[in-house]
Amino acid sequence: MSQWIDACATDDIDEEDLIAWEHEGKSYAIYNTEKGFFASDLMCTHEEQSLEDGLVIDCVIECPLHGGRFDICTGKALSAPVHQDLKTYPVRVESGRVFVETG
Amino acid sequence: MPGYVPTNAASSGVKLDKKTLKSIAARSDRPGLIYIAQWLTFLAATGTLVWATLGTLWMWPAMLLHGIFLTVPAYSFSHETAHGTAFRSRWLNEAVLWVTSLLYMEEPLHRRYTHTNHHTHTWWVGKDSQMPFDTPMGFGGWLAEITGTALLRFHMQVFLHLAAGRYTSTMKMVTPEREFSKMTRNARIMLLIYALIAAAPFFGIWWVVWFLVIPRILGAPVMLLFTLIQHVELQENSPSILESTRSFRSNWLAEFLYMKMNNHVEHHLYPQVPFHALPKLAEAVQDQLPAPDPGFFKTNLEVMSVVLRRSLGRPTKAATIRQAPHMITEGGPVERIAQRTM
Ligand code: FES
Repeated sequence: MSQWIDACATDDIDEEDLIAWEHEGKSYAIYNTEKGFFASDLMCTHEEQSLEDGLVIDCVIECPLHGGRFDICTGKALSAPVHQDLKTYPVRVESGRVFVETG
Repeated sequence: MPGYVPTNAASSGVKLDKKTLKSIAARSDRPGLIYIAQWLTFLAATGTLVWATLGTLWMWPAMLLHGIFLTVPAYSFSHETAHGTAFRSRWLNEAVLWVTSLLYMEEPLHRRYTHTNHHTHTWWVGKDSQMPFDTPMGFGGWLAEITGTALLRFHMQVFLHLAAGRYTSTMKMVTPEREFSKMTRNARIMLLIYALIAAAPFFGIWWVVWFLVIPRILGAPVMLLFTLIQHVELQENSPSILESTRSFRSNWLAEFLYMKMNNHVEHHLYPQVPFHALPKLAEAVQDQLPAPDPGFFKTNLEVMSVVLRRSLGRPTKAATIRQAPHMITEGGPVERIAQRTM
């Protein structure tokens, strides 16, 4: 069942950056971008690599291992070596808190 | 969960705070464009030397010099663009990857995907698809490596396989399937270009021979001396980049030709850092890393001496470069650890 979970405060994440967040044994990435806050799976779809140390550039997350890039808003795989999209999750911001709809 | 850990900073126990890493890894088109302008200026100068000495014995050293400036940066640039870190603009990366891979003589996507695998499994026997020589290295292996014959043979086989649409098990292991058709198209176009270059003298067009073909052949050993010392004599099958990989000191010229990849440990720790920022990265993590080996010439002379002594059955301890413990022996028969994968 999907549910909105209070994940972090908005100022826990620097601008143009992300944090790793764990909930019920699953790892998520939560992003603060110029277009707002977004959430996705934490692991890259190319190999088993966390995106936590990745670079956020213009609403794109770049994987730290091989530089594969995903659109943060849609999860779309943008450039090699990634070809499989990243799963994204709805996000809502209320009173300085970031809520993620998991499920 | 996979049965491996990617070889990088985390697997090597090296730490760098995210803010610093982010500021070091920032992307821009500017340094790459400046590099292209400098590279073309050098090529114009060395090309003029070749032109001015044509028909004399001096054309040979001139072609060697031109070849070094043609071949080493072509390798370095195709490596950097395979990572996608040379430019902020993706199209620039991809265009330069294509042209420099043409000069380096490897199909660009094969270059990219075998190299991603090299970063995931750096110097792991049976997993790293970019181990260019058997280890421990002997003098025969050294000769095959630095003359470029082994690499040329491998790249030609790759071209022919790709052009014929026959994909090897290594290609299938490291490449997403949807890329194969592009690789086949690239390989066919590139082989056609090489065939046109080979045919040019038969139509009286000799400049390609003096400015491109012979310089490319003469420059290859210098390029391969740079790549040889990235991992030679170091530890196979280690999760730590500090044990498998070598950085070496460098002067401005070698740094230019090699696009600062003398900071090779640092590059493997944080492959997202672009070439121009590697010295900054090296400074930020230097207290966690072994000291770099001596410069290009000294490190290569030491490697040559060690592999020669190994082939002669003599002691193999080097005086100044880092070696994995098992590379240092009192002589005698050599037990092979890794078989070349390219
Ligand atoms: S693991 Fe993310 S691009 Fe390869």
